[in-house]
Amino acid sequence: MDKTFSESWYRVANQKICLRPVVKVRRQNFRGERWFVLENPFSNQYFRIHPATYEFVARLRPDRTVEQVWQECLERFPDAAPSQEAVIQLLSQLYFSNLLQYDLAADSAQLFDRYKKRKQREISFRFLNIMFMRFPLLDPDRFLVRTMPVAKKLIGSFGALLWILVVGFGLKIVAENFSGLRVEGEGILATNNLFLLYIGTVIIKALHEFGHAYFCRRFGGEVHVMGVMLMIFTPMPFVDATSSWSFRERWKRVLVGAAGMIVELFFAAIAAFIWAKTAPGIVHSLAYNIMFVASVSTLVFNLNPLMRFDGYYILSDLLEIPNLNQRASAQWRHLFERYLFGVKSSETPANTRREAGWLTVFGFAAGIYRTIVFSSILLIIADRFLIIGIVMALVCLISWAVVPVVQFVKYLSASPRLERVRPRAVMVTAGLAVLLIILLGIVPFPHTFRAPGVVMSSQRMQMASETEGQFDKVLAQPGAWVKQGEPLVQLSNPRLALQIINTRAHLAEVNARLLQATDGETPDVAPLVRLRDSVADTLQKLTVDDEHLTVRARQAGIWVLPGVEDYFGRWLPRGSDLGLLVNPQAFEFTATVMEADAHALFAQKIHNVRVQLYGDAATKLSVSDWRVVPGGQSVLPSAALGWSAGGEVPVNMDENSQGHKSAEPFFEVRGVLAGTNHPELLDGRSGKITFQLPAEPLLPRWTRSLWQLLQKRYQI
Amino acid sequence: MLTIPTQDYRRSSYRVPTRPLTGLDAFVNGFVGKHHRRAKILETLRLDAEKIVAQEREWTALSNAELQTRLREFREHFRRGGKKAEDFVVPALAAIREAADRQLGLRPFPVQLMGALALHRGYLAEMATGEGKTLTAGLAAVLAGWTKQPCHVITVNDYLVQRDAEWLESFYHFCGVRVGFVALWMGTPERVKNYGCDVTYVTSKELLADFLRDRLHLGKMQNPTRRLIRRMLAPDLTVQDGMVLRGLHTAIVDEADSVLIDEAVTPLIISASHENATLRTAAVLAQEMIGVLQPGVDYQSNPRYKEIEMTKAGLQKMVEQAAQLPGLWQGHDRRLELVIQALIAREFFHRNQQYIIEGDKLVIVDEFTGRPMPQRSWREGLHQAIEAKENIPVSNPAETIARLSFQRFFRCFHKMSGMSGTAREAAGELWQIYGLPVITIPPNKPCVRQQWPDRFFTDEKAKWSAIADEVVKVHATGRPILVGTRSVKTSERLGQELLERGLTAKILNANRLSEEAELITLAGERGRIIIATNMAGRGTDIKLGRDVPALGGLHVIATEWHESGRVDRQLFGRAARQGDPGSAQSFMSAEDELIHKYLSQPVQKILLKAWQKSLPGKQKMARRAFKIAQNKAQKMALKQRRSILRSDVWLDEALSFAGGDTI
Repeated sequence: MDKTFSESWYRVANQKICLRPVVKVRRQNFRGERWFVLENPFSNQYFRIHPATYEFVARLRPDRTVEQVWQECLERFPDAAPSQEAVIQLLSQLYFSNLLQYDLAADSAQLFDRYKKRKQREISFRFLNIMFMRFPLLDPDRFLVRTMPVAKKLIGSFGALLWILVVGFGLKIVAENFSGLRVEGEGILATNNLFLLYIGTVIIKALHEFGHAYFCRRFGGEVHVMGVMLMIFTPMPFVDATSSWSFRERWKRVLVGAAGMIVELFFAAIAAFIWAKTAPGIVHSLAYNIMFVASVSTLVFNLNPLMRFDGYYILSDLLEIPNLNQRASAQWRHLFERYLFGVKSSETPANTRREAGWLTVFGFAAGIYRTIVFSSILLIIADRFLIIGIVMALVCLISWAVVPVVQFVKYLSASPRLERVRPRAVMVTAGLAVLLIILLGIVPFPHTFRAPGVVMSSQRMQMASETEGQFDKVLAQPGAWVKQGEPLVQLSNPRLALQIINTRAHLAEVNARLLQATDGETPDVAPLVRLRDSVADTLQKLTVDDEHLTVRARQAGIWVLPGVEDYFGRWLPRGSDLGLLVNPQAFEFTATVMEADAHALFAQKIHNVRVQLYGDAATKLSVSDWRVVPGGQSVLPSAALGWSAGGEVPVNMDENSQGHKSAEPFFEVRGVLAGTNHPELLDGRSGKITFQLPAEPLLPRWTRSLWQLLQKRYQI
Repeated sequence: MLTIPTQDYRRSSYRVPTRPLTGLDAFVNGFVGKHHRRAKILETLRLDAEKIVAQEREWTALSNAELQTRLREFREHFRRGGKKAEDFVVPALAAIREAADRQLGLRPFPVQLMGALALHRGYLAEMATGEGKTLTAGLAAVLAGWTKQPCHVITVNDYLVQRDAEWLESFYHFCGVRVGFVALWMGTPERVKNYGCDVTYVTSKELLADFLRDRLHLGKMQNPTRRLIRRMLAPDLTVQDGMVLRGLHTAIVDEADSVLIDEAVTPLIISASHENATLRTAAVLAQEMIGVLQPGVDYQSNPRYKEIEMTKAGLQKMVEQAAQLPGLWQGHDRRLELVIQALIAREFFHRNQQYIIEGDKLVIVDEFTGRPMPQRSWREGLHQAIEAKENIPVSNPAETIARLSFQRFFRCFHKMSGMSGTAREAAGELWQIYGLPVITIPPNKPCVRQQWPDRFFTDEKAKWSAIADEVVKVHATGRPILVGTRSVKTSERLGQELLERGLTAKILNANRLSEEAELITLAGERGRIIIATNMAGRGTDIKLGRDVPALGGLHVIATEWHESGRVDRQLFGRAARQGDPGSAQSFMSAEDELIHKYLSQPVQKILLKAWQKSLPGKQKMARRAFKIAQNKAQKMALKQRRSILRSDVWLDEALSFAGGDTI
């Protein structure tokens, strides 16, 4: 509560001051409350005040002293009039915002000092926000004004109609070509596409920013700053449309905030059209990338209110809670101070219960979201760029983690707000810290790790035709259990039958000639004997071949012949594939465990191992026995596990490896799968093996992974 | 009167203080301060002092006229200033030393020369009580006076101002320096004349008040260039007539810790009262309204922070009564403010403690000195609330016209130095705020004061009777006794106790300065008992009577520890000055304000329990508790001073559009 009287009142009481003549005043409604926004168009500075305060400010005139004005306010609004302290506060704020006119020569040294300090703050702000550095470059206002006659036509009902048509048409195209879109989408982050992706992003973001600028200008706001923002070191355009904050109508503010996305979606639709109508090539790819950035990234990032992009400001306007982010933090601080630290004088920044609710929810969601985003940015940077990456990551770590912690400690130890409850505040904080340490460092959490792999039968036999012949009929049911020697397929080979008859005749002939020869000269006998043996041999072979026309199971098992119906009537050359015989009791899951995880295989006792197959999440197959194939491997058991075939193991991309050779060595783990009901579905399917390790607290686990990462990256 | 432009320029010139450093800058600056206080500095001072003493022969040989001629020569060198003047500091001080001997009959000791050199070089010289600080300041002031820049020697009260200036006058005159003093009772012409002297003795209050009045007088003509132009355009409208100061340049501050730290926060306010009938009636009505409020039920009071918190029931009662208030005060916030102010007046301000009633006027009493302060008033509203409570005519609130804290004022000198008996503890603060490095000058003769063991009691009553018994006991040996108290009330209480035991003590309340100074000088006579508040008789030495040293010298009793350890040390320093014998002892109780205010309830309880059960080590524990409480109090005070300075600086920046008050 302000004191009605202030000891410093004498310093302003006799001053004759007023608002600068250029200051514009607008009325705004926020949550049904009336506010006044003071705007200095020269410096683009804004100041929002309550009506009661406005009553005071509006009465300031160069021919009246502050004292006179204050007295008048007191008489007219005894309860609402600002106190002397509030007036001093207000005047100083107006002065700092350069909204005041006073007759004294400005203290130029102080002005300069202030300027220097502001610059310093900007620089340190830039370094603290090194991931989102801004460099203002030019003033687009005149350009906007000059081109407005054209833009004006588009921002209105005609534009809206056009937009609906184009975006609708684009949606139609997308729906029609959805499968094609998906296929191409898989390669969006491939290295050879990154440049195009970036070009597409820059083009679309430039249009996006112009969208903000034109909408803002259309509704009368001035746009004076345009430049480049280094977003995670990637140059992106930006525009400063803050003048829209003074718009009286809410929908205008929301529209300016949404303008970027409106423009982007429009161009996404056009790009979809181009993409659909062009053959693969640079234009086609660029159109695809533009379409991707303008739709997906817009919806994920720009519309997301948890980051401080367009969505945030739109939400802020929709909820009619300005400075949503700051006030959410203030609300959380209030909650902490009031309920945990017991600061009785702490007041919520919210004006209503509903607002308090919004602030609390938003603060919570944004806090968690930001932690995730920031830590992933940290990891990405540290991962991508070597030494500089570490330095950058350190800078980020300092600005996102160390600085806030130091500030918190400072707040805890020295903040006057905690003056009276400091012991309790320190105790609560220490308690929470201990709780966190216990949670992370002492309480064990279930610990599992997973590795990709394929299912293979350990007792499997490839069935092949041992003789050529026409596929005649199936003697056993494919997929059914067969005994050893049980006939599976009947082939027919008329030529073979003829050959047998022919050879038999030939043998009879040779036998006859042999009989004849025994009566005659001896020297004729020996060659004939040899001929007979040879022909008998041939006959023998042909007979075996004939027997082989009935293909029999060479071992007991399940006979698997996919696409059996295609075989009928086909001529099968010798050695053709006639399916597999597999033993369902003997399936193995061959998994590739990367070196980073391997320590767990050896170091710890593993309780439980299970396998889950892709596309069959519900069934978990238990593994009865498992072993590690000694020595590091580099040839994958199946190409399906490698990157080149959509798997997750990095593989060498050179030609002769055929996607089988992994980029780094791994350990092969073979686990014997227990029986299953659908054995025929199993062989060759890929899945994941899950090793359940003894429960372990999170902190040692995290430190270990961090060390491993460092070791792997930098050979420390 | 003809004034040359530079003179006029200097009149309103002062050093614009740099903004206090924060964060890393302050941290580094702390090390710079430590560097300035390193032991080497003292060593150079000692060597220079030895050089001065070594030249003694050369100067004693001269006749008075010759000495004066040489002194005039030095004066010319210093007048011209520059680096060259520094080369003359050693011979000049040797000459001044000789002059002091001839004019005052006192030949400055080497430690006094060291002190003078420290003052000249911008240090805060810590010198024990009775080491002859007045003369030390005089030596340095001669050097400063020779430069013809305004030099102010600042002491704590008007009596000392007059005494010192008059005592040293012949010495200054001999050295060719004009000296004057300014005291409360002087009118403008007299002030102009005295400030016009080369060296002016003045209290900090008078100096700051004159400074502010001058600034008010100048109004919008603060800028000397503006004034010059004005004088050229309109020669008749000169504003500088009526100014009393001739600018701020050098300050030598005596009792620097009390001026620069203890009393530095309270701003000096120049005010005029203005008619405000609504506030007056509102204050009376509020006093009637709170009649129905019960402490604990309708409101909670917090004595530590002097705050009142209304409960829901209390707020409800106020709503019912609101209708009778004048319109301005009917709204919720204003009404609450008014009611709380009335409650603060009821709960925390007590007659004869914080204020007295003289006739039908409320007079504020300085809580520490016990001195009535008829010029002071509490902030707007509170003063009226207390008047309403006491049923005396409610006065108009005083409207501030100009206001400046000593803390900020003393940052405006180009050259500042100081002396104090106790400054070591505040060395860090003195450096950070004023840029004053503290240097401890060793005593001329080693101190042989005996510190008797502290004595603790569970309650006040036991303590006071023990003190009285102790006084009786020591008195029987014939030794003089000085008892230091914190307030007038406790002084009187002890006087009563002693009276019951058949002893009469003189009670000093720092009310009648010269009389008390006289009493203090006699405090060292055999069999004397003096009870004095901490401020009483400051700056006056207690000289021991003829046969007193043989009895054991003066005995000092501290009846309570002060919030600041420095004040306690000052009190103890009264005994055993200049190598005399003497002793000191503190009496404390668990009910002392220090414990009450700065230790948490549980700790207080443990302390009390331990004491009642006579646990082993209770003595140590109690001492420790008092130390902790004192540390806490000092830290809080430091923090408060810091934050006041910070908010002052901020306010200046924020209101610089209003100009005028900028410092």
